[in-house]
Amino acid sequence: MTATLTSQGYDQAAFDALLASLDEPAWMTDRRRDAFEAFANAPWPSSKDEEWMRTDIRLFKLDQFAKPDDAAAAPCDPGLLTHGVDLGGHVQSVDGNLVSEDLSAELAAKGVLFGGMQRMLAEHGDKLRPSIERDIVCPKYDRFAMLNAAFWTCGSVLYVPKGVSVEQPLHMLSVLGAEKSADLSRTLVVLEEGAEATLLAETASASTDAAGLHCGAIELIVGPNAKLRYVNLQNWNNKVWHFAHQKAVVGKQGQLQWTIGALGAKLAKVNQHVALEGSDAEAQVNGAMFTQGRQHLTYNTHQHHEASYCRSDLLYKTALQDKSRTVWRGMIKVDKPAQRTDAYQRNDNLMLSEHCRADSIPGLEIEADDVRCTHGSTSGRVDESQIFYAMTRGYTRQEAVRMIVSGFFQQIFDRITIQSVRDALGEAIAARVQDLSSL
Amino acid sequence: MTFHPVGPASDFPDPSSTLVEVDDAPVVLIHAAGHFYALDDVCTHDGGPLSDGPLDPEEKTIACPRHGAKFDLKSGAALTMPATKATAAHEVKVEDGQVLVRLVG
Repeated sequence: MTATLTSQGYDQAAFDALLASLDEPAWMTDRRRDAFEAFANAPWPSSKDEEWMRTDIRLFKLDQFAKPDDAAAAPCDPGLLTHGVDLGGHVQSVDGNLVSEDLSAELAAKGVLFGGMQRMLAEHGDKLRPSIERDIVCPKYDRFAMLNAAFWTCGSVLYVPKGVSVEQPLHMLSVLGAEKSADLSRTLVVLEEGAEATLLAETASASTDAAGLHCGAIELIVGPNAKLRYVNLQNWNNKVWHFAHQKAVVGKQGQLQWTIGALGAKLAKVNQHVALEGSDAEAQVNGAMFTQGRQHLTYNTHQHHEASYCRSDLLYKTALQDKSRTVWRGMIKVDKPAQRTDAYQRNDNLMLSEHCRADSIPGLEIEADDVRCTHGSTSGRVDESQIFYAMTRGYTRQEAVRMIVSGFFQQIFDRITIQSVRDALGEAIAARVQDLSSL
Repeated sequence: MTFHPVGPASDFPDPSSTLVEVDDAPVVLIHAAGHFYALDDVCTHDGGPLSDGPLDPEEKTIACPRHGAKFDLKSGAALTMPATKATAAHEVKVEDGQVLVRLVG
Protein backbone atom coordinates (compact mmCIF):
# COMPACT_ATOMS: atom_id res chain seq x y z
CA MET A 1 0.00 0.00 0.00
CA THR A 2 1.40 3.41 -0.88
CA ALA A 3 0.42 6.80 0.39
CA THR A 4 1.92 10.22 0.76
CA LEU A 5 2.82 11.61 4.14
CA THR A 6 2.14 15.30 3.93
CA SER A 7 1.64 16.29 7.52
CA GLN A 8 4.46 18.47 8.81
CA GLY A 9 4.79 17.45 12.39
CA TYR A 10 2.69 18.40 15.37
CA ASP A 11 3.43 22.08 15.84
CA GLN A 12 1.15 25.13 15.80
CA ALA A 13 1.09 25.29 12.00
CA ALA A 14 0.15 21.63 11.71
CA PHE A 15 -2.53 22.09 14.35
CA ASP A 16 -3.98 25.13 12.58
CA ALA A 17 -3.99 23.21 9.29
CA LEU A 18 -5.84 20.35 10.96
CA LEU A 19 -8.49 22.67 12.40
CA ALA A 20 -8.96 24.29 8.99
CA SER A 21 -9.59 20.89 7.44
CA LEU A 22 -12.24 19.87 9.97
CA ASP A 23 -15.91 20.70 10.11
CA GLU A 24 -16.88 20.02 13.68
CA PRO A 25 -18.78 21.77 16.49
CA ALA A 26 -17.09 24.79 18.07
CA TRP A 27 -17.06 23.17 21.49
CA MET A 28 -14.97 20.31 20.12
CA THR A 29 -12.56 22.76 18.53
CA ASP A 30 -12.23 24.51 21.90
CA ARG A 31 -11.40 21.18 23.50
CA ARG A 32 -8.73 20.57 20.87
CA ARG A 33 -7.21 24.02 21.44
CA ASP A 34 -7.08 23.42 25.17
CA ALA A 35 -5.38 20.04 24.66
CA PHE A 36 -2.93 21.44 22.12
CA GLU A 37 -1.84 24.20 24.45
CA ALA A 38 -1.11 21.59 27.10
CA PHE A 39 0.63 19.33 24.56
CA ALA A 40 2.87 22.13 23.32
CA ASN A 41 4.11 22.84 26.84
CA ALA A 42 4.35 19.33 28.26
CA PRO A 43 7.45 17.14 28.32
CA TRP A 44 7.43 13.54 27.18
CA PRO A 45 7.28 11.01 29.99
CA SER A 46 10.72 9.81 31.03
CA SER A 47 12.20 6.85 32.82
CA LYS A 48 12.29 9.01 35.94
CA ASP A 49 8.48 8.79 36.13
CA GLU A 50 7.37 5.77 38.16
CA GLU A 51 4.79 4.81 35.54
CA TRP A 52 7.37 4.90 32.74
CA MET A 53 10.51 3.64 34.42
CA ARG A 54 10.15 0.20 32.79
CA THR A 55 9.04 1.50 29.40
CA ASP A 56 11.79 3.04 27.31
CA ILE A 57 10.52 5.50 24.68
CA ARG A 58 13.79 7.31 24.04
CA LEU A 59 13.89 5.95 20.48
CA PHE A 60 10.36 7.18 19.74
CA LYS A 61 10.39 10.19 17.39
CA LEU A 62 6.90 11.60 16.93
CA ASP A 63 7.80 13.72 13.91
CA GLN A 64 8.62 10.60 11.91
CA PHE A 65 4.93 9.73 11.79
CA ALA A 66 2.00 11.43 10.10
CA LYS A 67 -1.45 10.70 8.78
CA PRO A 68 -1.34 10.21 5.00
CA ASP A 69 -3.60 12.59 3.12
CA ASP A 70 -4.16 10.18 0.26
CA ALA A 71 -7.51 8.44 0.27
CA ALA A 72 -6.91 4.95 1.59
CA ALA A 73 -8.45 1.81 0.20
CA ALA A 74 -10.63 -0.40 2.33
CA PRO A 75 -8.72 -3.33 3.81
CA CYS A 76 -8.94 -6.64 1.96
CA ASP A 77 -9.44 -8.67 5.12
CA PRO A 78 -12.52 -7.69 7.13
CA GLY A 79 -10.76 -8.72 10.34
CA LEU A 80 -10.10 -11.82 12.41
CA LEU A 81 -13.01 -11.16 14.75
CA THR A 82 -15.59 -11.12 11.94
CA HIS A 83 -15.11 -14.71 10.85
CA GLY A 84 -18.38 -16.57 11.11
CA VAL A 85 -20.14 -13.63 12.75
CA ASP A 86 -23.38 -12.04 11.60
CA LEU A 87 -22.55 -8.39 12.23
CA GLY A 88 -25.01 -5.61 12.93
CA GLY A 89 -22.64 -2.98 11.58
CA HIS A 90 -19.03 -2.06 11.06
CA VAL A 91 -16.61 0.86 10.92
CA GLN A 92 -13.25 0.62 9.17
CA SER A 93 -10.40 3.07 9.01
CA VAL A 94 -7.04 2.94 7.26
CA ASP A 95 -4.16 5.18 8.31
CA GLY A 96 -6.51 7.38 10.30
CA ASN A 97 -8.99 7.85 7.45
CA LEU A 98 -12.50 6.45 7.64
CA VAL A 99 -13.02 4.14 4.66
CA SER A 100 -16.25 2.30 5.39
CA GLU A 101 -19.17 2.29 7.84
CA ASP A 102 -22.61 0.79 8.07
CA LEU A 103 -25.35 -0.13 10.51
CA SER A 104 -28.33 -2.39 9.96
CA ALA A 105 -31.57 -0.56 9.27
CA GLU A 106 -33.23 -2.45 12.11
CA LEU A 107 -30.77 -1.12 14.68
CA ALA A 108 -30.87 2.38 13.24
CA ALA A 109 -34.65 2.33 13.59
CA LYS A 110 -34.25 1.56 17.30
CA GLY A 111 -32.19 4.72 17.71
CA VAL A 112 -28.79 3.03 17.80
CA LEU A 113 -25.98 5.24 16.53
CA PHE A 114 -22.83 3.63 15.16
CA GLY A 115 -20.28 5.11 12.81
CA GLY A 116 -17.25 7.26 12.33
CA MET A 117 -16.60 9.82 15.05
CA GLN A 118 -16.48 12.83 12.71
CA ARG A 119 -19.87 12.12 11.12
CA MET A 120 -21.43 11.34 14.47
CA LEU A 121 -20.21 14.63 15.87
CA ALA A 122 -21.57 16.52 12.90
CA GLU A 123 -24.98 14.84 13.02
CA HIS A 124 -25.46 14.06 16.71
CA GLY A 125 -23.04 16.41 18.46
CA ASP A 126 -25.61 17.66 20.97
CA LYS A 127 -26.49 14.14 22.05
CA LEU A 128 -22.88 13.07 22.41
CA ARG A 129 -21.52 16.22 23.97
CA PRO A 130 -22.41 15.41 27.61
CA SER A 131 -20.64 12.05 27.36
CA ILE A 132 -17.57 13.53 25.70
CA GLU A 133 -17.38 16.33 28.24
CA ARG A 134 -17.25 13.82 31.07
CA ASP A 135 -13.60 13.35 30.12
CA ILE A 136 -13.69 9.67 30.97
CA VAL A 137 -10.12 9.57 29.68
CA CYS A 138 -8.42 12.62 31.10
CA PRO A 139 -7.23 14.60 28.05
CA LYS A 140 -4.27 15.93 30.00
CA TYR A 141 -3.20 12.73 31.75
CA ASP A 142 0.14 12.71 29.93
CA ARG A 143 1.58 14.01 26.67
CA PHE A 144 0.18 11.09 24.67
CA ALA A 145 -3.32 11.82 25.96
CA MET A 146 -2.82 15.48 25.03
CA LEU A 147 -1.57 14.50 21.57
CA ASN A 148 -4.65 12.40 20.98
CA ALA A 149 -7.08 14.99 22.34
CA ALA A 150 -5.61 17.70 20.10
CA PHE A 151 -4.87 15.83 16.89
CA TRP A 152 -7.34 12.91 16.71
CA THR A 153 -8.70 12.41 13.22
CA CYS A 154 -10.79 9.27 13.26
CA GLY A 155 -12.54 6.86 15.53
CA SER A 156 -15.94 5.44 16.23
CA VAL A 157 -19.04 6.08 18.25
CA LEU A 158 -21.55 3.54 19.50
CA TYR A 159 -24.63 4.90 21.24
CA VAL A 160 -27.37 2.54 22.40
CA PRO A 161 -30.54 4.17 23.77
CA LYS A 162 -32.25 3.21 27.00
CA GLY A 163 -33.57 -0.33 27.09
CA VAL A 164 -32.37 -1.29 23.61
CA SER A 165 -30.63 -4.61 23.23
CA VAL A 166 -28.29 -5.03 20.26
CA GLU A 167 -28.15 -8.74 19.57
CA GLN A 168 -25.69 -8.76 16.67
CA PRO A 169 -22.09 -7.81 17.43
CA LEU A 170 -20.74 -4.61 15.94
CA HIS A 171 -17.23 -4.45 14.57
CA MET A 172 -14.49 -1.83 14.30
CA LEU A 173 -11.25 -2.32 12.37
CA SER A 174 -8.31 0.08 12.31
CA VAL A 175 -5.52 -0.63 9.84
CA LEU A 176 -2.10 0.92 9.45
CA GLY A 177 -0.90 0.55 5.88
CA ALA A 178 1.51 3.23 4.73
CA GLU A 179 5.08 3.38 5.97
CA LYS A 180 5.35 5.65 9.01
CA SER A 181 1.68 6.53 9.09
CA ALA A 182 -0.06 7.64 12.26
CA ASP A 183 -3.47 6.63 13.55
CA LEU A 184 -4.79 8.95 16.25
CA SER A 185 -8.24 7.62 17.00
CA ARG A 186 -10.93 7.89 19.63
CA THR A 187 -13.65 5.44 20.55
CA LEU A 188 -16.74 6.42 22.49
CA VAL A 189 -19.29 3.85 23.60
CA VAL A 190 -22.40 4.91 25.48
CA LEU A 191 -24.94 2.37 26.70
CA GLU A 192 -27.87 4.03 28.36
CA GLU A 193 -29.84 2.44 31.19
CA GLY A 194 -30.77 -1.18 30.49
CA ALA A 195 -29.07 -1.25 27.09
CA GLU A 196 -26.98 -4.16 25.89
CA ALA A 197 -24.37 -4.52 23.14
CA THR A 198 -21.29 -6.42 21.98
CA LEU A 199 -18.52 -4.48 20.29
CA LEU A 200 -15.55 -6.14 18.63
CA ALA A 201 -12.61 -3.84 17.99
CA GLU A 202 -9.40 -4.85 16.32
CA THR A 203 -6.28 -3.33 14.86
CA ALA A 204 -4.03 -4.68 12.16
CA SER A 205 -1.17 -3.76 9.86
CA ALA A 206 -1.35 -4.20 6.11
CA SER A 207 2.27 -5.32 5.99
CA THR A 208 4.73 -6.85 8.39
CA ASP A 209 7.47 -4.28 7.98
CA ALA A 210 5.81 -0.84 7.78
CA ALA A 211 6.58 1.25 10.83
CA GLY A 212 3.64 3.12 12.32
CA LEU A 213 2.19 4.96 15.28
CA HIS A 214 -1.09 4.50 17.04
CA CYS A 215 -2.04 6.88 19.81
CA GLY A 216 -5.60 6.26 20.89
CA ALA A 217 -8.25 6.84 23.49
CA ILE A 218 -11.18 4.58 24.35
CA GLU A 219 -14.08 5.68 26.55
CA LEU A 220 -16.79 3.22 27.57
CA ILE A 221 -19.85 4.40 29.48
CA VAL A 222 -22.03 1.55 30.75
CA GLY A 223 -25.22 2.91 32.23
CA PRO A 224 -27.31 1.49 35.09
CA ASN A 225 -28.40 -2.10 34.38
CA ALA A 226 -26.66 -1.95 31.02
CA LYS A 227 -24.46 -4.75 29.74
CA LEU A 228 -21.46 -4.30 27.46
CA ARG A 229 -19.15 -6.91 26.05
CA TYR A 230 -16.13 -5.19 24.58
CA VAL A 231 -13.30 -6.98 22.83
CA ASN A 232 -10.10 -5.28 21.79
CA LEU A 233 -7.62 -7.27 19.70
CA GLN A 234 -4.35 -5.40 19.24
CA ASN A 235 -2.64 -7.05 16.31
CA TRP A 236 -0.34 -4.38 14.84
CA ASN A 237 2.88 -5.56 13.29
CA ASN A 238 6.07 -5.49 15.33
CA LYS A 239 7.16 -2.08 13.98
CA VAL A 240 4.28 -0.07 15.44
CA TRP A 241 4.45 2.19 18.48
CA HIS A 242 1.18 1.81 20.36
CA PHE A 243 0.07 4.20 23.08
CA ALA A 244 -3.46 4.09 24.46
CA HIS A 245 -5.60 5.35 27.27
CA GLN A 246 -8.67 3.20 27.79
CA LYS A 247 -11.27 3.69 30.48
CA ALA A 248 -14.71 2.33 31.29
CA VAL A 249 -17.22 3.58 33.85
CA VAL A 250 -19.97 1.22 34.96
CA GLY A 251 -23.21 2.40 36.53
CA LYS A 252 -25.45 0.79 39.14
CA GLN A 253 -25.93 -2.93 38.45
CA GLY A 254 -24.21 -2.50 35.11
CA GLN A 255 -22.04 -5.28 33.70
CA LEU A 256 -18.90 -5.04 31.65
CA GLN A 257 -16.90 -7.87 30.12
CA TRP A 258 -13.72 -6.45 28.62
CA THR A 259 -11.36 -8.75 26.77
CA ILE A 260 -7.98 -7.68 25.46
CA GLY A 261 -5.73 -9.57 23.12
CA ALA A 262 -2.32 -7.97 22.84
CA LEU A 263 -0.14 -9.60 20.24
CA GLY A 264 1.50 -6.90 18.15
CA ALA A 265 3.43 -3.64 18.46
CA LYS A 266 7.10 -2.86 18.76
CA LEU A 267 6.35 -1.08 22.00
CA ALA A 268 2.95 -0.72 23.63
CA LYS A 269 2.02 1.34 26.64
CA VAL A 270 -1.63 0.96 27.55
CA ASN A 271 -3.53 2.25 30.53
CA GLN A 272 -6.69 0.24 31.05
CA HIS A 273 -8.96 1.62 33.72
CA VAL A 274 -12.32 0.38 34.96
CA ALA A 275 -14.33 2.51 37.38
CA LEU A 276 -17.31 0.92 39.12
CA GLU A 277 -19.24 4.03 40.02
CA GLY A 278 -22.67 2.58 40.75
CA SER A 279 -23.44 0.04 43.45
CA ASP A 280 -23.68 -3.67 42.58
CA ALA A 281 -21.81 -3.12 39.31
CA GLU A 282 -19.59 -5.79 37.86
CA ALA A 283 -16.53 -5.90 35.60
CA GLN A 284 -14.65 -8.86 34.23
CA VAL A 285 -11.36 -8.06 32.52
CA ASN A 286 -9.52 -10.66 30.46
CA GLY A 287 -6.13 -10.17 28.88
CA ALA A 288 -4.07 -12.47 26.67
CA MET A 289 -0.60 -11.38 25.58
CA PHE A 290 1.93 -13.21 23.44
CA THR A 291 5.19 -11.47 22.65
CA GLN A 292 8.21 -12.35 20.55
CA GLY A 293 11.36 -10.81 19.08
CA ARG A 294 12.15 -7.58 20.90
CA GLN A 295 8.56 -6.57 21.55
CA HIS A 296 7.87 -4.60 24.70
CA LEU A 297 4.29 -4.44 25.99
CA THR A 298 3.32 -2.50 29.10
CA TYR A 299 -0.21 -2.71 30.47
CA ASN A 300 -1.24 -0.67 33.48
CA THR A 301 -4.61 -1.83 34.77
CA HIS A 302 -6.72 -0.08 37.34
CA GLN A 303 -9.85 -1.44 39.00
CA HIS A 304 -11.46 1.45 40.81
CA HIS A 305 -14.28 0.63 43.20
CA GLU A 306 -16.19 3.80 43.94
CA ALA A 307 -19.47 2.29 45.19
CA SER A 308 -20.56 -0.56 47.42
CA TYR A 309 -21.29 -4.19 46.55
CA CYS A 310 -19.32 -4.09 43.29
CA ARG A 311 -17.30 -6.95 41.84
CA SER A 312 -14.26 -6.87 39.60
CA ASP A 313 -12.25 -9.81 38.33
CA LEU A 314 -9.12 -9.35 36.24
CA LEU A 315 -7.02 -12.09 34.66
CA TYR A 316 -4.04 -11.37 32.39
CA LYS A 317 -2.07 -14.26 30.92
CA THR A 318 1.17 -13.67 29.06
CA ALA A 319 3.53 -15.88 27.10
CA LEU A 320 6.91 -14.47 26.16
CA GLN A 321 9.46 -15.60 23.60
CA ASP A 322 12.91 -14.49 22.44
CA LYS A 323 14.06 -11.19 23.98
CA SER A 324 10.58 -9.77 24.43
CA ARG A 325 9.47 -8.03 27.56
CA THR A 326 6.15 -7.33 29.26
CA VAL A 327 5.24 -5.14 32.17
CA TRP A 328 1.95 -5.48 33.98
CA ARG A 329 1.12 -3.09 36.78
CA GLY A 330 -2.26 -3.70 38.33
CA MET A 331 -4.02 -1.69 40.97
CA ILE A 332 -7.24 -2.31 42.87
CA LYS A 333 -8.38 0.94 44.40
CA VAL A 334 -11.29 0.84 46.84
CA ASP A 335 -12.80 4.11 47.97
CA LYS A 336 -14.13 4.54 51.48
CA PRO A 337 -17.83 4.21 50.53
CA ALA A 338 -17.21 1.03 48.54
CA GLN A 339 -18.01 -1.44 51.31
CA ARG A 340 -18.58 -5.12 50.47
CA THR A 341 -16.31 -4.87 47.46
CA ASP A 342 -15.19 -8.16 45.94
CA ALA A 343 -12.13 -7.63 43.74
CA TYR A 344 -9.49 -9.90 42.29
CA GLN A 345 -6.55 -9.46 39.97
CA ARG A 346 -4.12 -12.01 38.63
CA ASN A 347 -1.29 -12.11 36.13
CA ASP A 348 0.38 -15.31 34.94
CA ASN A 349 3.54 -15.24 32.85
CA LEU A 350 4.94 -18.16 30.89
CA MET A 351 8.58 -17.61 30.02
CA LEU A 352 9.52 -19.42 26.81
CA SER A 353 13.09 -18.26 26.44
CA GLU A 354 16.10 -17.53 28.57
CA HIS A 355 16.23 -13.86 27.60
CA CYS A 356 12.61 -12.74 27.88
CA ARG A 357 11.49 -10.73 30.88
CA ALA A 358 8.16 -10.15 32.59
CA ASP A 359 7.63 -7.56 35.31
CA SER A 360 4.46 -8.19 37.27
CA ILE A 361 3.46 -5.61 39.84
CA PRO A 362 0.06 -6.06 41.49
CA GLY A 363 -1.14 -3.47 43.98
CA LEU A 364 -3.96 -2.78 46.41
CA GLU A 365 -5.10 0.54 47.83
CA ILE A 366 -8.05 0.06 50.14
CA GLU A 367 -9.84 2.69 52.17
CA ALA A 368 -12.98 0.71 53.05
CA ASP A 369 -12.93 -1.79 55.94
CA ASP A 370 -15.34 -4.50 54.83
CA VAL A 371 -14.02 -5.84 51.55
CA ARG A 372 -12.47 -8.89 49.93
CA CYS A 373 -9.58 -7.89 47.69
CA THR A 374 -7.00 -10.39 46.55
CA HIS A 375 -4.32 -10.54 43.94
CA GLY A 376 -1.78 -12.95 42.58
CA SER A 377 1.01 -13.28 40.09
CA THR A 378 2.98 -16.24 38.78
CA SER A 379 5.99 -16.38 36.47
CA GLY A 380 7.75 -19.52 35.32
CA ARG A 381 9.03 -21.78 32.58
CA VAL A 382 7.16 -24.66 30.98
CA ASP A 383 7.02 -27.44 33.55
CA GLU A 384 9.51 -30.17 32.61
CA SER A 385 7.42 -32.86 34.30
CA GLN A 386 4.47 -31.96 32.06
CA ILE A 387 6.71 -32.20 29.00
CA PHE A 388 8.03 -35.54 30.20
CA TYR A 389 4.51 -36.86 30.75
CA ALA A 390 3.41 -35.79 27.26
CA MET A 391 6.52 -37.36 25.74
CA THR A 392 5.75 -40.65 27.46
CA ARG A 393 2.44 -40.49 25.59
CA GLY A 394 4.17 -40.25 22.23
CA TYR A 395 4.45 -36.50 21.66
CA THR A 396 7.72 -34.92 20.60
CA ARG A 397 9.17 -32.31 22.91
CA GLN A 398 8.13 -29.55 20.52
CA GLU A 399 4.57 -30.85 20.27
CA ALA A 400 4.41 -31.08 24.03
CA VAL A 401 5.56 -27.50 24.49
CA ARG A 402 3.07 -26.21 21.96
CA MET A 403 0.26 -28.12 23.63
CA ILE A 404 1.19 -26.78 27.07
CA VAL A 405 1.37 -23.19 25.80
CA SER A 406 -2.04 -23.52 24.16
CA GLY A 407 -3.40 -24.93 27.39
CA PHE A 408 -1.93 -22.02 29.32
CA PHE A 409 -4.33 -19.66 27.56
CA GLN A 410 -7.33 -21.96 27.92
CA GLN A 411 -8.35 -20.29 31.17
CA ILE A 412 -8.77 -17.02 29.27
CA PHE A 413 -10.69 -18.70 26.44
CA ASP A 414 -13.03 -20.33 28.96
CA ARG A 415 -14.00 -16.89 30.25
CA ILE A 416 -14.78 -15.47 26.82
CA THR A 417 -18.42 -16.00 25.99
CA ILE A 418 -18.24 -14.98 22.31
CA GLN A 419 -17.37 -17.88 20.04
CA SER A 420 -15.80 -15.78 17.26
CA VAL A 421 -13.53 -14.07 19.77
CA ARG A 422 -12.44 -17.39 21.21
CA ASP A 423 -11.72 -18.63 17.70
CA ALA A 424 -9.89 -15.48 16.60
CA LEU A 425 -7.71 -15.27 19.68
CA GLY A 426 -7.08 -18.98 19.55
CA GLU A 427 -6.11 -18.74 15.88
CA ALA A 428 -3.77 -15.80 16.45
CA ILE A 429 -2.08 -17.45 19.41
CA ALA A 430 -1.87 -20.80 17.66
CA ALA A 431 0.01 -19.14 14.81
CA ARG A 432 2.59 -17.94 17.30
CA VAL A 433 2.73 -21.26 19.05
CA GLN A 434 3.58 -22.84 15.69
CA ASP A 435 6.62 -20.58 15.54
CA LEU A 436 7.96 -21.97 18.78
CA SER A 437 11.23 -23.72 18.31
CA SER A 438 11.99 -26.62 20.59
CA LEU A 439 12.69 -25.46 24.09
CA MET B 1 23.15 -10.15 11.29
CA THR B 2 24.91 -7.34 9.43
CA PHE B 3 26.88 -4.35 10.60
CA HIS B 4 24.79 -1.18 10.89
CA PRO B 5 26.33 2.30 10.66
CA VAL B 6 25.57 4.42 13.72
CA GLY B 7 27.52 7.58 12.82
CA PRO B 8 30.95 9.11 12.31
CA ALA B 9 33.50 8.18 14.95
CA SER B 10 34.15 11.89 15.46
CA ASP B 11 30.60 12.25 16.82
CA PHE B 12 31.50 10.12 19.83
CA PRO B 13 34.11 11.83 22.04
CA ASP B 14 36.41 9.80 24.27
CA PRO B 15 35.15 9.15 26.90
CA SER B 16 31.42 9.06 26.18
CA SER B 17 28.40 6.78 26.24
CA THR B 18 25.62 7.39 23.72
CA LEU B 19 22.26 5.80 23.08
CA VAL B 20 22.01 4.64 19.45
CA GLU B 21 19.39 2.60 17.62
CA VAL B 22 20.62 -0.53 15.89
CA ASP B 23 18.07 -2.59 14.00
CA ASP B 24 15.26 -1.30 16.27
CA ALA B 25 17.22 -2.14 19.44
CA PRO B 26 18.47 0.44 21.96
CA VAL B 27 22.25 0.10 22.21
CA VAL B 28 24.69 2.11 24.27
CA LEU B 29 27.79 2.94 22.23
CA ILE B 30 30.76 3.59 24.46
CA HIS B 31 34.02 5.27 23.50
CA ALA B 32 36.56 4.78 26.25
CA ALA B 33 40.37 4.78 26.34
CA GLY B 34 40.55 4.68 22.56
CA HIS B 35 38.19 1.76 22.10
CA PHE B 36 34.55 1.47 21.07
CA TYR B 37 32.16 -0.90 22.83
CA ALA B 38 28.45 -1.60 22.31
CA LEU B 39 26.09 -3.09 24.89
CA ASP B 40 22.34 -3.52 25.12
CA ASP B 41 21.20 -0.32 26.77
CA VAL B 42 19.38 -2.32 29.40
CA CYS B 43 20.42 -3.13 32.94
CA THR B 44 19.56 -6.79 33.52
CA HIS B 45 18.46 -6.03 37.06
CA ASP B 46 15.73 -3.46 36.62
CA GLY B 47 15.79 -2.54 32.94
CA GLY B 48 17.46 0.80 33.60
CA PRO B 49 19.19 2.75 30.80
CA LEU B 50 22.94 2.15 31.04
CA SER B 51 23.66 5.07 28.73
CA ASP B 52 22.54 7.41 31.52
CA GLY B 53 24.92 5.83 34.02
CA PRO B 54 28.50 6.65 35.02
CA LEU B 55 31.29 5.35 32.78
CA ASP B 56 34.69 4.36 34.16
CA PRO B 57 37.16 4.22 31.23
CA GLU B 58 40.01 2.92 33.38
CA GLU B 59 37.99 0.16 35.01
CA LYS B 60 36.26 -0.44 31.67
CA THR B 61 32.85 -0.53 33.33
CA ILE B 62 29.55 1.26 33.07
CA ALA B 63 27.07 1.41 35.94
CA CYS B 64 23.28 1.50 35.97
CA PRO B 65 22.07 4.89 37.22
CA ARG B 66 19.27 3.31 39.26
CA HIS B 67 20.93 0.84 41.60
CA GLY B 68 24.61 0.96 40.66
CA ALA B 69 25.07 -2.46 39.07
CA LYS B 70 28.31 -2.46 37.05
CA PHE B 71 28.85 -4.13 33.69
CA ASP B 72 32.05 -5.00 31.85
CA LEU B 73 32.35 -2.93 28.67
CA LYS B 74 33.81 -5.72 26.57
CA SER B 75 31.81 -8.76 27.62
CA GLY B 76 28.71 -7.19 29.14
CA ALA B 77 29.24 -9.35 32.24
CA ALA B 78 27.52 -8.24 35.42
CA LEU B 79 30.30 -7.37 37.85
CA THR B 80 28.39 -6.20 40.89
CA MET B 81 25.03 -6.67 42.55
CA PRO B 82 22.14 -6.22 42.15
CA ALA B 83 22.60 -7.42 38.55
CA THR B 84 23.47 -11.08 38.19
CA LYS B 85 23.11 -11.63 34.45
CA ALA B 86 25.22 -10.19 31.64
CA THR B 87 23.77 -7.65 29.27
CA ALA B 88 24.36 -8.40 25.61
CA ALA B 89 27.67 -7.18 24.18
CA HIS B 90 27.73 -6.43 20.46
CA GLU B 91 30.46 -6.26 17.82
CA VAL B 92 31.84 -2.82 16.92
CA LYS B 93 34.26 -1.73 14.23
CA VAL B 94 35.32 1.55 12.66
CA GLU B 95 35.63 1.71 8.88
CA ASP B 96 36.34 4.86 6.87
CA GLY B 97 35.62 6.93 9.95
CA GLN B 98 32.18 5.35 10.46
CA VAL B 99 31.26 3.35 13.53
CA LEU B 100 29.50 0.08 12.67
CA VAL B 101 27.67 -2.19 15.11
CA ARG B 102 26.50 -5.74 14.62
CA LEU B 103 24.00 -7.16 17.09
CA VAL B 104 24.97 -10.39 18.74
CA GLY B 105 22.27 -12.74 19.98
